[in-house]
Amino acid sequence: MANNDTKIGAALTAATCGLLGIAPSTSVASDAAPAWDVDSAFLYYGESDGRVQDLSLSAHATRDFGDERTLGLDVSVDSLTGASPNGAIASDGPQTFTSPSGRKTYDTPAGDIPLDESFLDTRFAVNGNWSQPLARLYTISAGLGFSSEYDYQHIGANVGLTRDFNQRNTTLSFALAYANDTIKPVGGLPLPLAQMGDAVGEDQSPANRAGDSDSKNVLDVLLGVTQVLGRHSVLRVNLSYSDSSGYLTDPYKILSVVDPVTGEPIARTPAPGTSGPVNVYLFENRPDSRRKEALYAELRHDFSGKVLQVGYRYSTDDWDVDSHTLESRLRLPFGESSYLEPHVRYYQQTAASFYRYSLANLAPAPEFASADARLSDMSAVTVGLKYGRETAGGNEWNARLEFYQQKAKAPGEFLIGNQVGNTQMPDFNAVILQFGYHFKL
Amino acid sequence: MGGPCEVLVETEHEHEARQVAEAVCAAAARIESKYSRYLPDNIVARINSGMGAPTTVDDETANLLDFAAQVHQLSEGLFDITSGVLRRAWTFDGSGRVPRPEDIAALLPMVGWSKARWVRPTLTLLPGMQIDFGGIAKEYAVDQAAQAAASVSASAVLVNFGGDLAVTRARHGDQAWRVGIEGIDAHEGAAARLVDLSAGALATSGDTYRYIKSGGHRLPHILDPRSGWPVSDAPRTVTVAAPSCTQAGTLSTLAMLKGAGAEAFLESEGVRFWIQRDPAGS
Repeated sequence: MANNDTKIGAALTAATCGLLGIAPSTSVASDAAPAWDVDSAFLYYGESDGRVQDLSLSAHATRDFGDERTLGLDVSVDSLTGASPNGAIASDGPQTFTSPSGRKTYDTPAGDIPLDESFLDTRFAVNGNWSQPLARLYTISAGLGFSSEYDYQHIGANVGLTRDFNQRNTTLSFALAYANDTIKPVGGLPLPLAQMGDAVGEDQSPANRAGDSDSKNVLDVLLGVTQVLGRHSVLRVNLSYSDSSGYLTDPYKILSVVDPVTGEPIARTPAPGTSGPVNVYLFENRPDSRRKEALYAELRHDFSGKVLQVGYRYSTDDWDVDSHTLESRLRLPFGESSYLEPHVRYYQQTAASFYRYSLANLAPAPEFASADARLSDMSAVTVGLKYGRETAGGNEWNARLEFYQQKAKAPGEFLIGNQVGNTQMPDFNAVILQFGYHFKL
Repeated sequence: MGGPCEVLVETEHEHEARQVAEAVCAAAARIESKYSRYLPDNIVARINSGMGAPTTVDDETANLLDFAAQVHQLSEGLFDITSGVLRRAWTFDGSGRVPRPEDIAALLPMVGWSKARWVRPTLTLLPGMQIDFGGIAKEYAVDQAAQAAASVSASAVLVNFGGDLAVTRARHGDQAWRVGIEGIDAHEGAAARLVDLSAGALATSGDTYRYIKSGGHRLPHILDPRSGWPVSDAPRTVTVAAPSCTQAGTLSTLAMLKGAGAEAFLESEGVRFWIQRDPAGS
């Protein structure tokens, strides 16, 4: 029997050199450590006129465990400051509002769109996702997410299944997501379409509030097809359905009540010894369910290294908000390891059926009403440019600068008296600056 | 080469990639046609049809025979390029057909490198004896192809002939090539282990699909040329990392032949290895 302890290595190396006619080189092999692949980013988002500013730090990390099993983790921290429109219309006179807490007031000069300055928030979010093959051609994924703000908690779960067909040139995917969000507004939940009251002391409850918190549930269903079209093109088409139910109202948004003839705000007088609004404002109220359907189509084409991506999204919902989004990116590699990527996006939507610029005094009260510009007839344009550069170690730096412009208009049928030809919508511009670093750990 | 062949080139230049692919294909095609035992008129066929007469061989074939002779001696007869004759009795097709002992005994006189007369450049076999470079030709082809690739390109190249592979250098930015070792029970394309390879080669012996079922046991297709019977307690697969694919393949083949001693053998050789065995009791 052969002696297992006899080392043959040196003699074998010599024999191999004799055969291959080359000096022995080295072998460097090791078990692959499952490595983290991290996309990190620092983002600044700033709206014009001192409105919302967001500083955000985020990281998306994936770890490959081999055998197509991957773990994805997302962490982000956002710090939001600035002012946001409260929904009231601009007026010829100065306006006073009670802050969301119900304990202070703030003023808006004559002619200005009223902004709530008390907007300040820190948001923390984490998401985890696991993906693995289920059987030949099938991949399953599942994830959990959580985010927290001082007045808002979100918890969500999702599952997805993909199936490859046609020699993996066609992929069908199906995904389900469910979320439960809890909102606990500062100062409590306003009663629907109740009047904004005077500021109250620390020992008193703000007027017209109905409890501390409420919740909403969101179910999302997605059905998608990805089709490889030849060597250079990929087409993706998604159909999605989203069902939200529960508290969908923005507790901080109000509407101005106006004279049904002139369209000017109706004045009121704060109670003696208190400060409070000098006009009549009602808290908004939205339906407690929203069903949305969307179609998304995206084509990517590789023009010998230059990759063009064009996407279109159509969305419609039972609030009558129909939207069209057209978006395109073009990746232009240059030099040894750099690229430029211009980006354009156009968005347009119709107003929600209950959107109002203001509410007429003495008219029958609508069941639902909101003056939130995000539910108005509006459009937005984004143009941007991204620059990326790969380092020698295979990592990548990138920087992105984008400009965003949003324009809304109040549909004519909602305008009253002097408002016609005199509307002021809370339009704004924003700048987005992002620095990203992609690396492996 | 009995399995999918691929060559990976880390370059942005199509011209360079084509040059490398052509060099690799040329090397592979040349060695396959020269040493395949399935082709009727190559050097292997001429040796095997010698009927006891001496055959004079070219330099490259002589180098391979020298190598086979040395490994035969180093392994004390475990590694033997004349053992292919035993396949007349053993058919590893997953069926339950086990040969009778007398069938094996009848073949053994035609098996054994020590019965051949090798005086470079002339080989003389006993009548009925055959040689087969199947145990080393593929690994040798990988090394030759990797050399050919390195001679036409400074870029990092990985040559993979059916799971036996070699790299010419680490990838851009000193990154290793990441290689999956196929699992014994995994579904198609699944890797049981991932190995980072910056230099050298990997070779795997053993085969997931070739076996005989006998009395509920799975007899592996690895035959001990000294007894003519399958090696007992052989691993299902043995993967070895070594400076060259030829070395890696020789060590992995020898480890299979060591049966239960595979791990101990490779540990004493001080090489990196990955062994997969059937779960106990199956």
